[in-house]
Amino acid sequence: MSDLNWRLAARSLRRDLRAADVRALFIALMLAVAASTMIAFFLDRLERGLERQAGQMLGGDLVLEQREPFSAELRSTLEQAGFVLSDQVELVSMISRGDRFQPASLKAVDDVYPHYGVSHVDIGNGTEQIASGPPVGEAWVDPRLAQLIEIELGDRVQVGQTELTISGIIEREADQSGGFGNFNPRLMLNTSDLEATGLVQPGSRIEFELLAAGPPAALEQVQGLLGELRRAGVDVRDVRVDRPQLGNALQRAESYLGLAGLAAVLLAGVAVAMSTRRYVERHLDTAALLRCFGASQYQLVMIFTLQLLGLALAASVIGALLGLVGQAVLLWLLTSFLPMTLPPPGIMPLWLGIFTALAVLVGFAGPTLLRIKQVSALKVLRRELDPLPPSAWLVVGVASIVFGGLLWLYSGSLPLALALLIGGAALLGVLWLVSSLLLSGLLKGVQRLSGKSEWSQAFRLGGRQLARRKQAGLGQLLAFSVTFFAMAMIVLVRGDLLTTWQDQMPDDTPNYFAINIQPSERDAFEDAVAPRVETQSTLYPMVRGRITGINGQTPRDAVPPDARGDNSLRRELNLTWQAEVPEGNQIVAGQWFTSAGESQGFMREVDATPISTNEITPISMEDGLAQRLGLGIGDELTFSVGGDTIATRIESLRSLNWDSFTPNFFIIFPPGVLESFGHSYITAFHLPDVEQGLIRQLVSDFPGVSLLNVDAILGQVREVLTQVTRAIELVLALVLLAGISVLYAALTASRPARAHESGLLRVFGAGTKMISRVQGAEYALLGFASGLMGAVLAELATAALYLYWLELTPRLHWGLWVMLPLGGALLIGIIGHVLSYSLRRQAPAASLGLLGEA
Amino acid sequence: MSTLPADDAPAHQPSTDTASTHKVPDAGAYPPVLLAEKLSKQVTSGERSLNILHDLSLSVAAGESVAILGKSGAGKSTLLGLLAGLDTPSDGELTLFGQPLSRLDEDGRAALRAGRVGFVFQNFQLLPTLSALENVLLPLELSPRAGEDHVAAQWLERVGLGERTGHLPKQLSGGEQQRVAIARAFVTDPELVFADEPTGNLDPDTGAQIIDLLFTLNREAGTTLILVTHDHALARRCDRCLRLANGKLEPFEPVSANGGGNE
Repeated sequence: MSDLNWRLAARSLRRDLRAADVRALFIALMLAVAASTMIAFFLDRLERGLERQAGQMLGGDLVLEQREPFSAELRSTLEQAGFVLSDQVELVSMISRGDRFQPASLKAVDDVYPHYGVSHVDIGNGTEQIASGPPVGEAWVDPRLAQLIEIELGDRVQVGQTELTISGIIEREADQSGGFGNFNPRLMLNTSDLEATGLVQPGSRIEFELLAAGPPAALEQVQGLLGELRRAGVDVRDVRVDRPQLGNALQRAESYLGLAGLAAVLLAGVAVAMSTRRYVERHLDTAALLRCFGASQYQLVMIFTLQLLGLALAASVIGALLGLVGQAVLLWLLTSFLPMTLPPPGIMPLWLGIFTALAVLVGFAGPTLLRIKQVSALKVLRRELDPLPPSAWLVVGVASIVFGGLLWLYSGSLPLALALLIGGAALLGVLWLVSSLLLSGLLKGVQRLSGKSEWSQAFRLGGRQLARRKQAGLGQLLAFSVTFFAMAMIVLVRGDLLTTWQDQMPDDTPNYFAINIQPSERDAFEDAVAPRVETQSTLYPMVRGRITGINGQTPRDAVPPDARGDNSLRRELNLTWQAEVPEGNQIVAGQWFTSAGESQGFMREVDATPISTNEITPISMEDGLAQRLGLGIGDELTFSVGGDTIATRIESLRSLNWDSFTPNFFIIFPPGVLESFGHSYITAFHLPDVEQGLIRQLVSDFPGVSLLNVDAILGQVREVLTQVTRAIELVLALVLLAGISVLYAALTASRPARAHESGLLRVFGAGTKMISRVQGAEYALLGFASGLMGAVLAELATAALYLYWLELTPRLHWGLWVMLPLGGALLIGIIGHVLSYSLRRQAPAASLGLLGEA
Repeated sequence: MSTLPADDAPAHQPSTDTASTHKVPDAGAYPPVLLAEKLSKQVTSGERSLNILHDLSLSVAAGESVAILGKSGAGKSTLLGLLAGLDTPSDGELTLFGQPLSRLDEDGRAALRAGRVGFVFQNFQLLPTLSALENVLLPLELSPRAGEDHVAAQWLERVGLGERTGHLPKQLSGGEQQRVAIARAFVTDPELVFADEPTGNLDPDTGAQIIDLLFTLNREAGTTLILVTHDHALARRCDRCLRLANGKLEPFEPVSANGGGNE
């Protein structure tokens, strides 16, 4: 019997491919799959590409750091897991040339260095990209060091007990994880020369780093070992966990793409629902006949299910291929940002696509399809005997559940999916009510049109036609509203995303950091810089301090085991003091210090020595660090600063924007506590291109000040944003295409009824012009109402999205309220008008007959 | 077509007894193919309940041809739906091929029909997306004889459409479409064929040809035929004529004139 089902299904599918509803179904499913696979493929590869880039910034996929050399046992374990290892040693030492001495931050690299990326080094022929470290006997220095001790290429410098030849000036290191911790200028040498320097002595402050590069599987395999290492106090940086954020921007872009994919799936779902209705109506006669000839209900369901499954499979294969091409286009748009050696697309997204097609089919077509099962054989004798359409609640309910499941699958967040779903369901209920009222209101308004002009006549007739098919009209109104809503939302979010990015990265974003400004230089530095720069952040005082105790315990014992190796516990932190919350910081818990202001001022005058140890200083901590260390409001921390001990208590937690290109601090003290300790200042400013001469002047006037140029990083982030923007435009186009497929499906579904009506009008003597006006008016009314509904929906939904998902500030979009209703009227008016062109050309008998043919 | 089936069976003129006691020559010893006992059908339209059929009984023996006449709106289609097991009566019992239908569910009744009951409809009811051959294949594939595809082609040959097997219904004339429908009705070698106004949508000449074809095939196959019509001439060619009036069947003598008056 199943053989028979297959044969029947295949036969009718082949014939059916000519039917408009089947074509609409096919296109809708294909678009859904194309959109979801394209985005899934793309996100998958982007994710892996970002990981690779993060690995480059980190120096490897896994970086271990401790104060002593790593054991051979650990090395062999890692190598067995599939890692390639590279050693680095970092230490601070005095270097000299003649009578000039300068502390430098030494970095010894081996022959494997770097795992990823290249360094930008000038070895005498201008800046070149070099994928290795300096050879044995040579050293590379950063331009500041060269300037400070006046060396040129070929000079020899004393490093510990040996001499090295300077063979390169480093503009940019391949791994850039150094950060601002290193105030001292860089000197890079080969590990083979390290022993000769005699600098590696027991007890000296040396960081040994083991950089490992390997596949994700290798990283997976050693996870257990990493936990042990962390608990043993080793600083473990795992590329997947400690990825340096390329910025919220990119994360938002990923969210956006995910959202757009879902919008396309939703749109396709609506199209599937619309065309299935027509498909089922068209096949009720077939079903009744088959029933008459003795087919069981099960057989009926099987035949039509197999048919639709075949359709879905064909559509998903073609859709997946389109998705594959689409993601290649997306990647092509992003090539200059992504590393060239992206892993090939995985197979997962393909399954995801097929699964999506089936889910959309089941969710949006299932209940409607079941109607076929209920068809009575008696229908062959009495045409009017159609089974009841499935209840709207059932259709919407099943579709919502399936779409919620897809939401969950795509977003990976159940609460988000549930919230969207419940919100969506509530919204849909309200929508149904409001659209019902809106439609009646609009139709009443149209009937009042008393003008004798052809257009008001057209609107009266068109409105009456719409009113006659109120239920179907309402269904279309809903479908169009959802369509406009999804399209509008994708356009809106895109616009706001781009604006936010531009706001976040204005042209005057600081491109220079100045570090290590001594208090005595502070005013002079400010005077030198202020008149020539466009923007400058506050000068923040900076004191180095170490956390020595947490709630009376050693930090190691007080924090969660996995945080024992955290950098914040192993190194000195940059502490600052501020009276006000720094710009861009937000208090997320507790309170900023307020009342203490006066007494601090008083204390500063009376007593310049550090405050007594029994007094507890309030501090403010960055919430991310607090979370990592398992700390909250009220926890007490002891700091060791310049040999003194300061007892503190966390009184507030701050969130801050790490992408802001301004100085950010983990811990902020109130004024009046740290001033007496040795401190320096840090600031950031934007130096216009024309003022580049200032840098030379600053370096010579303030030799102790480190100037850090972040133009390269800034440029990279800007480039990423531009390219991601292009990717977003492409996805936007896809969503709009999906929207048009919905219109196509909906108009297909209502074709016979409209054909009948225009046939009747023609019989009563209406000319082609009149009919086309009436139809245009009907579509325009429908479009106007759905545009209005879509605007309401889009405004509400984007507000919710911004608040809970994309973390943008919601705002009203006035243009939307004008554009959507008018645009909707125009769009549906035009598309409907064009699509029904052939109907108007038909002789009335033919269009009247269309109904009977079913 | 000079020999008409009606002429061959003058003995089977309607008897006065419409109940199960009716005797059919050659078949008296066998149980009737179709036995309806006290069938009633009520429909509620709005707030009024309407008795379409009331205490209706009928017995049809194997090989017999029965015409059911009735005015439009008398409930002919309702009765046909009940007799074919497409619908369920409000009251009474219908036994088809010895099986009481009240004991079968919708699927059970469908299974009983498969391959044993053929249908010819007024509006042909061909599937527009299937070719003539595929339309004929449809009931065959649902019957126990599924797979004997050559049978379908043979039947198209027999109704004179051997050359047009690949044509879609819309490429065929009305008469040709009804020929396809007749081939489809007989392709499974059914025991019982229902015909619902088979000439209703055809012009008189074409209608006459279709009727000749229907009766010829019916006679050759020895099939039981139940024909619903308002055409007296057509009814006269059946072994027995009944008229549906006031929800009951009564014996009826069709007008003998050519193409008779419309009932």
